[in-house]
Amino acid sequence: MKKRPAKAGCQSSGQDQVSELLIMPDGQILVHNLTPAFARLLHELNPTAEQISSRVTRHSSPSHELPN
Amino acid sequence: MRREAKRHAALAGADEVSKSGVAGALCHRSPKSRSVLARERAQIARALLADCRLCAHDCGVNRLAGETGLCHAGAEARFFCAQTEVSDELELIPTFAVALCGCDMRCDFCITGATSWNARTGDLVVAALRRQKGGGDALVAPRGDGAASTLLRRGVATTLQPQRLSGLEQLAQQAEQALANGARTIMVLGGEPTIHLPTVLELVSQLPDTAKLIWKTNAHGSAQARELLDGLFDVWLADFKFGNDACAQRLAKTPDYLRVIEENLRWADAHSELIVRHLLMPGHVDCCWRPVAEWLAANLPGVKVNLRSGFWPAWRAARHIELRGTVSTPENERAVALAREFGLNLIP
Repeated sequence: MKKRPAKAGCQSSGQDQVSELLIMPDGQILVHNLTPAFARLLHELNPTAEQISSRVTRHSSPSHELPN
Repeated sequence: MRREAKRHAALAGADEVSKSGVAGALCHRSPKSRSVLARERAQIARALLADCRLCAHDCGVNRLAGETGLCHAGAEARFFCAQTEVSDELELIPTFAVALCGCDMRCDFCITGATSWNARTGDLVVAALRRQKGGGDALVAPRGDGAASTLLRRGVATTLQPQRLSGLEQLAQQAEQALANGARTIMVLGGEPTIHLPTVLELVSQLPDTAKLIWKTNAHGSAQARELLDGLFDVWLADFKFGNDACAQRLAKTPDYLRVIEENLRWADAHSELIVRHLLMPGHVDCCWRPVAEWLAANLPGVKVNLRSGFWPAWRAARHIELRGTVSTPENERAVALAREFGLNLIP
């Protein structure tokens, strides 16, 4: 098992977005601090994942968020 | 009582609270807006740092003079994350979450670990007025973070690096912008925000009175802290982590856990909307989740409960053999079955 979660982006001062992932050997992905942009990305990767699709919002994206 | 009614009652009825201690100082004669009330209470809360008893550890240290208690927090708050998130309860998201550094508990499995434990990291959150004055009685910057570290006192020029001094107003503006962009709520969390109550109240005083505010807490605050918070937050999102004192002591170095948490949850339910969270831990279904579920069913029937199954072995979890993995599917299923057995109001 991966001991340190991968961080997407960096943090502080609210200028950047950060989500943390833990990818399990069985393919399960656990997410901490899920941002709207990252939720959209995960939803595109697996549109059938109900836990993610329920969290995809229309919150508008600041320019520094991940592109769609 | 519904959320708005509870909050309004708290704002308008402060004359009814006890006349002793902090409550006496909180009394006022007419209903005030949330922002005004928060501003007044922020001054009280800051003065109380001279004998800090904001959390249940009841240290009594003088944080204004640079002393630190078990949380190691100074007089000023720092934050390590402020962004819009969608990983919380569906009814609260998107939420603009402001995460403050430092915590009064020492959960070995803390998912944010060092970042949220260390009250001396992150960016300072200081209101412009106090920044200009150089602080009230004393503005103590956390020590030990290199060039950014200094001690500010009345009349002494700041040596803090400007880019690390994030204004409270800037945070409030970001929160307002997030609301304009579609965020439904503003959440204040940690670490544990209770230990930074003066700054939290200053932040609340800068936010629109109409914003829905979420108090994300470990529910280990003191009665004094509760009185300062009364009526200011729409929702208390409170953890109930352990079902017995032995697990709380072993995994989080927190004594007398159940008494404190149960008292705070009862109070929160009576004074605001309450959502109770329980992070399901591997190997702790019977010793922790079962008694938590049973207590909630008996004492707070119908309260919203979010059973979180996404435990991962973060920070120092590996010190405990049962916490070296995630929650198994059978454990998760059993936990949900227990929730149904006790008739809990589970929410996603």
